[in-house]
Amino acid sequence: MGSEAKKSEAELCAHMQAYLDGEIEAFDALYAAFAGRLRGYLLQQCRDASLADDLLQETFMQMHRSRRTYQPGRPVTPWVYAIARNVYLMKRRSAGRRARFEETLAADARSSDGSRDALDTIAEGDAVRRALRGVPADQRQALLMHHVEGWSFVEIAERLGIRVNAAKTRAFRGVRKMRERLK
Amino acid sequence: MNAPKDLRDRIKSDLRPTRPLWPPAVRALVLIPLAVAIVLSVPGLRFFRSDMQAIGFLKAWGFSFGQALAGLVIIGVALRESIPGRGLSRGAAAATIAIGLAIPFALLAVTASAFNVGPEPGHALEEGIGCFRVSAISAIPALIAAAWLAARAFPMRPALAGALYGLGCGLIADAGLRLFCDYTVPTHVLLGHGGAIVGAMAVGAIVAKIIPRS
Repeated sequence: MGSEAKKSEAELCAHMQAYLDGEIEAFDALYAAFAGRLRGYLLQQCRDASLADDLLQETFMQMHRSRRTYQPGRPVTPWVYAIARNVYLMKRRSAGRRARFEETLAADARSSDGSRDALDTIAEGDAVRRALRGVPADQRQALLMHHVEGWSFVEIAERLGIRVNAAKTRAFRGVRKMRERLK
Repeated sequence: MNAPKDLRDRIKSDLRPTRPLWPPAVRALVLIPLAVAIVLSVPGLRFFRSDMQAIGFLKAWGFSFGQALAGLVIIGVALRESIPGRGLSRGAAAATIAIGLAIPFALLAVTASAFNVGPEPGHALEEGIGCFRVSAISAIPALIAAAWLAARAFPMRPALAGALYGLGCGLIADAGLRLFCDYTVPTHVLLGHGGAIVGAMAVGAIVAKIIPRS
C-alpha cells in the first residue's frame, strides 16, 4: 500500500472513529469518500443505474446499523465493501424470491386446461386481487412488503415495529390464505 | 459528493455515540467460564472414565482443556468471520474445519493404547446414541452464547460462521465427553463423538441462518 493510500486509510479510520462517537460530519466525510466508488461498484454488480442508487443508500443505512462491528484502527475500506456486497446479494436474493412468488401465484391462478386468453388473464388478475383482499390486513402488508416489494424480514420488522419472527409468520400465513382462496 | 437529505436526516436522527464490539479474540475469551463448566460438568454429573489414573493427568485433563481451548480459538475465528471485511478465505475456512475435526481423533490416537475398547455386543447403538446425546446437550449452552455473540456482529456468510462456532462448541462438549467415555473403537468414536461435533456444526449453521443479524 502506498503512503498516499495509507494516509487516506488513516483519515478514513479517523472519520469512522468520529462517526462512532456520534458526529454527523464524520458521516458526511465518509459519504463523500465512498459514495462515488461504491456506486461504481454496485453499478458494475447490478448493471442498473437506479437500482445502484437505491443499493448505495441501503449500503449507508446498513453501515449505520452495523457501525459497532467496525474495529477501530482497522482499514475502513474492506469493511464498507463487504457491507455493500452483502446489500447487493440480499437484494438479488429477494428479487429472485419475488420472481418465484409471482410465478407461483400465476401457476396457482392458472386453470388446469392450460388454454389462456385475455379474458382468462383478467379473470386471474381479479382472482388474485380478490384473494389478496381476503387476507387480513396485517398479513397482507407483510406479504406484499416481502414478496412483492422485496423487503427483508428484518427491514419489515423494523418498519412495522414488530419482531422478525412475527413478520415471517404474518407473511407465511398471508401466502397460505391466498393459496387457499385461489384453489 | 453530498449525502441525499433524506438519508442524512435518517442517519442523524438515529446517531448517538456507539461503543464498538470488542475484538473477536476478546469476545471468545468471554466464553472461558462456560467452556470450563461444560468440560467439568459432562463427567462431573455422571462419572469419570475408568482409566483416568492409567492415562495420567496430562492425557486426561491436559488434553481435554487443550481441546476446549482449540474450540474457543475456533469460536474466535467464527467471530472474526462474522465481522464485515474480515471473512476467511476458502482455504483458511476449510483448513480450520479440517483441523478442528481432526483434533479429537488425534488426541484419541495419542491417548489410546489400542482401538478395541468398545460397548458390549448388542449395545453399540445404544451407547453411541448415549454419547451423541450427552455431547449434543452439553454443546447447547455454548452454542447459544456463541450464536448471540456472532449475531451481534454482521456475518456476511452466516452459515459458515455458524458452522465454525458450532464446531468450536462441539469440540468443547467433546472435551468433557472424553473424560467420561473411554471407548476407543472407531465406529463409536466416529459416529457417537464425531457425529455430535458435526451435528453441532450443522445446528450452528442453521441457527446462524435463522437468527436476525444486527
